[in-house]
Order: sequence, then C-alpha cells, then structure tokens
Amino acid sequence: MPNHFLRVEGASVSFGHDEARVHALRDVSLSFKPGTLSLVMGPSGSGKTTLLSLLGCLLSPDKGSVFVDGVAVNGLSEAERTAVRQQKISFVFQAFRLFHSLSALDNVALGLEIRDPAASRRTEVARDLLLQFGLGDKLHQEPKALSPGEKQRVAIARALAGNPPILLADEPTASLDAEAGRNICQILRSQVDEHGRTVVVVSHDPRWEKFADRIVTLCDGCVEEEVGVL
Amino acid sequence: MKLALQNILHDRGRFSMTVFGVCFAVFLMVFQGSLLAGFLQAASKLIDASDSDIWITARGVQAFEFGTTLESRVREMAAGVPGVTETSRVCMAFAVYRTPIGKQQVVALVGADPTVGNRFPVPDRHESADQLSPDAVLYDVSDRKQMEVDTLPAEVEINRHRANIEREIQGYGAFLGVPFLFTSYRNAIRYMGFGSDQAMYILLRVDKAYPVSQVQQSLKQRLPEVDVLTRDEFAHKARMYWTIKTGAGGAILTAAVLGFLIGLVVVSQTIYANTMENIEEYATLKALGASQTFVARIVLTQALICGVVGSVLGLLAVVPSITYAKSLIPWISAPWWLPCAMVVPSLAMCSLASIVSVRSALTVEPGRVFRA
Ligand SMILES: Nc1ncnc2c1ncn2[C@@H]1O[C@H](COP(=O)(O)OP(=O)(O)OP(=O)(O)O)[C@@H](O)[C@H]1O
Ligand SMILES: [Mg+2]
Repeated sequence: MPNHFLRVEGASVSFGHDEARVHALRDVSLSFKPGTLSLVMGPSGSGKTTLLSLLGCLLSPDKGSVFVDGVAVNGLSEAERTAVRQQKISFVFQAFRLFHSLSALDNVALGLEIRDPAASRRTEVARDLLLQFGLGDKLHQEPKALSPGEKQRVAIARALAGNPPILLADEPTASLDAEAGRNICQILRSQVDEHGRTVVVVSHDPRWEKFADRIVTLCDGCVEEEVGVL
Repeated sequence: MKLALQNILHDRGRFSMTVFGVCFAVFLMVFQGSLLAGFLQAASKLIDASDSDIWITARGVQAFEFGTTLESRVREMAAGVPGVTETSRVCMAFAVYRTPIGKQQVVALVGADPTVGNRFPVPDRHESADQLSPDAVLYDVSDRKQMEVDTLPAEVEINRHRANIEREIQGYGAFLGVPFLFTSYRNAIRYMGFGSDQAMYILLRVDKAYPVSQVQQSLKQRLPEVDVLTRDEFAHKARMYWTIKTGAGGAILTAAVLGFLIGLVVVSQTIYANTMENIEEYATLKALGASQTFVARIVLTQALICGVVGSVLGLLAVVPSITYAKSLIPWISAPWWLPCAMVVPSLAMCSLASIVSVRSALTVEPGRVFRA
C-alpha cells in the first residue's frame, strides 16, 4: 500500500437529527500525497469545509476513516487528535484568525510555541519567517494595523512556524484583492515545491486552478470530479 | 504567556475593573482582619498584661470589664493553698471623672497591686514609685482629648476625690468607648468606696515547683463559689465573649467575607467577559494544536495577573487607611503577617473566579474557526 500521507476512506458526515439531518459528506474517499497542492472546489454547502475539518482532525466522521501519516485518527481521543494537529497539521483561514492583542512577530512566535514548546530563539525564527514573506517592516504591528493581504501572510507564517508537513487552507484568498490573492497563491505553491508539504486549498477562486496539481470538485457531499495528476 | 498579558493590557477598561475588584476585596479583608486582630487583642489586653498564673473571678464573669467584687476571705484562702507564692488584687469600676476645667464624664477606673506584672499599667511600681505621688493616675495618649488635660501633672477629680494625672501611657486606649484610667489598688478602692481588701480579681503566682493545673484544681476545690482560671483561660474567655457572644466578631468577619464575595463576583464577571470576547481565539489556539493545559493556563494567568496587581494596590491603599483609622479606633492592629496572608485568599479568589471562564475556553469547539 502506497504511503498516502493524508487520506479519507468512505467518510460520511452528517449534522443534526431526523428531519433536520444534513448530509455534509457522503462516502467520500480521497488521498493527498506529500508535495502536492490539491484544490477543492464546489458550490456553497457542498461539504468543502467539512472535508477540511475531517482532514484537520477537528471532526470525526460518522462512518469511514481518516488517516494522517498512516495513522487512523478517528479512533483517537480528543487530546490525541490535538497532538496530531500540533505535530503535523496547520491551518490558514479566510478570516485570518490572528491573535488581536499580539504583534505580527508574537503571533508567529506563539504559533511556534504551540507547535514546539521546547524551541529556542522563537522570536528569531518568527522574524525570519516574516522577513521571508516581505513583512520585515510590520514585525511589531498589531493585526488591526495590517492590510488583509498582510494579515494573511502573517497567518501563513504562523501556520508554517514549527514546520508542519500538512497545510489546510479554507478560502485563503476570499477576503483579498487580486494582487494580494496571487501573492498568497504563490506562497502556498512554493511551500509545496520547496518544502514538499501537503497543501489542501478549499476555494471558489479560479485563480488557484493554475497553481494546483489536482482539482477535486465536491457536489452535495460527494466527489463529483477529480482532475489532475495524483 | 505573552498572550495572557497582552489580552488584559489590550482591554484596559475591563482590566481596571478586575483589578479594582481584587483591590476592593483585599482592602476589605485586610482592614476587617486588622479590626478583628485588634479587637481580639484589646479584648484580653489587661489580662494578658498580667504576669500571674491564675485569675480568680466571681462566678460567671465573662470579661475583665464586667467583674464584680469578691469576698475578701477569697484572697486569704487562696494564699493558703500550697504552691501559691503571691497574690495581687485588681479592681475595676466605672467612675465619674471631672476634668481640670470642670466638665464631667464617665471613665473606667482600674486599680491594681504593683505585683500584677511589669506590663500592667500601675503607677506605684517600685522603680517609679518615688517619682509619682501616691494618688497618681495614668491615662492613654489616645484619650488625651477626652481627658481635657493640657499639661501634666494635672489636678482632677474622680468620684469627688482629688486625683493627680501624672503620666501618659501607650497601648491601653479606650475599648469600651470610655477612657481607661489606671491607678494603684489602694487609690482605686478609695475612689470607688470599696472596703479594704475588696477586689474584683485575685491574681496568683504559682511556685515553679508546682504544676499550675494542680494548684488550679486545689483552688477550685477550696473555693467552689468562684471561677478559678489560668491567665490564658480567662484571656480566651474574654476574647470569646467580646467577639462571639456580643456578635461583634461576627459582624467584622461578615464584612471580610462580603469583601471576598464581591471581589469574586466582579473578577469572575470581567474575566468571563474577556474570555467570551476572545473565545474565537481560544478556538484558534486549539485548532493550532494547543493542549487543554495550555489554554487553561492562559485564562488562569490572566486572572492571576489581575490578582497580583489588585492585591498590591489593595495593600498600598490599606496600610495608610489603617494608620489613619488608628486615630479613631486606637485598638485596631494589623499584624505584619496579615497583609501577606491575604495574598493567598485573593489569588484563590481569582482562580475560583476563572473556573467558569476556563471551562468555556476548554469546551469551545475548535471546528468553529472555519466559520467566517
Ligand atoms: N456545525 C454544523 N452544524 C450543522 N450543519 C452544518 C455544520 N457545518 C456544516 N453544516 C452543513 O453541512 C453542509 C456542508 O457545509 P460546509 O460548510 O462543509 O460547506 P462548504 O462547501 O464549505 O460551503 P461554503 O462554500 O458555503 O463554505 C451545509 O449544508 C451546512 O449547512
Ligand atoms: Mg466552507
């Protein structure tokens, strides 16, 4: 069996009960290889975010399995799944989710602290990351003083601090203008090419298509189409 | 933990509120604690000031201030008990005092033999006897205004007898609301119109070779109609009377507990509001892989920072307040350990106040981070 780094197998997820029951995912099986950028598309309500939550160990499927690095995570306890996230998975959100009271530098340093509590020189590592993303002059700014594009770059730096192999992004460019959006696409693409990370991007944004190795289209909780190499 | 610090610094208004809550609680606890400590001390002050091993009082006397006279044969009989080496007489009664300018007022007059002990305020003790006249009377500095004495010595009247106020003493200020005056036993019975050898308390010293409890036992057998207490027993009884039976201690403690509770409510409200406001950030922390301990530590650290800052401010405010209160309530007393000890309940209060907040931060579902 090939080492499918990240995989869901026959996963179904539903919310609510009886009449109000919503099937967010129905029997979805997908694999994500290291060193690839997969784009997940589909209409609103098709289950994209639900899929990302499954991959990110934030949600357990009602049926089926989720594997991270060959380990079935749906059998794990809450604390164990938190530990899997800490060691392997990072997130980028549409709403950035920066810590409002911390400077850009401290946001990234906190990301590193969570991922690697024993890491030394956290501030230096955080500074290097921010410099890499062209934020050298914004190190000590608080999030509210940053533009949306800058916020998302800080959020990506925070997600990458501690070097997680998997990066899951939900609509990372939806709140950004064209210029800033393209910048984010390039950054995430370079994470795949230069660091061999597994990146999954959920987006409606057609700009992503040319950066993706593969495009998965969901519809009504099912995989409707899968194009590209894998 | 920078996040904890920054979060509270970012919300100055709420932080001030929290700190104020802690400050208020600490202030009230220390202040009321000082009242209680001072009250307990004052309640048995004169008993503790004696050097005697045993106090004999009329049956049922609760406190030094409320004694009644003993039969004079009590002293003779007590002196005859093996092990008793020395007896001293103490009496106390309310008396009418006439100031040098002729105004009248009630005082509590205390008279004692010089043998009661070196700390007990008596004018004719050996070393100072030659400097003081036989009818010398002492009063406490804190009562100076009420005594209306401008220069010492001053000639006054006590129960229409001439008396000489010769000296001020310290630490025996008014406890009953009326000033204490101290004089010799001989003098006191003259002012009070008692017969010779009449006393309210007989204090006994016991030979080192005899166990005090054994002497106490034989005294009880020989004097069944009076109370025979060791000094500590009588002191304890007086303290219990003043604090418990009069309800004064309860009132003081209630205010301290109230301070604690109000602080608790204020702090838990503000910490909770702050936590709920940042609940998305706690969800983000968890999504990023922060453990439950990590999240709990942030909330708790916030509460404890407020606790420490509030405690320090509360202590800074209470020290001058107690100093000032001393001029109104001379017996208030803050033992050095009291403010230090209050740090414990105040930090406990903050931890307690953050329980609900910690729970909310811990139970927030990390999946909500995706919802825009
Ligand atoms: N926590 C939840 N409770 C109840 N229903 C939910 C929950 N999360 C998702 N759903 C439902 O599951 C379905 C799939 O939702 P999901 O968020 O995965 O869609 P999506 O493809 O990300 O949509 P969008 O493009 O609007 O973000 C929707 O019908 C949604 O209403
Ligand atoms: Mg979505």
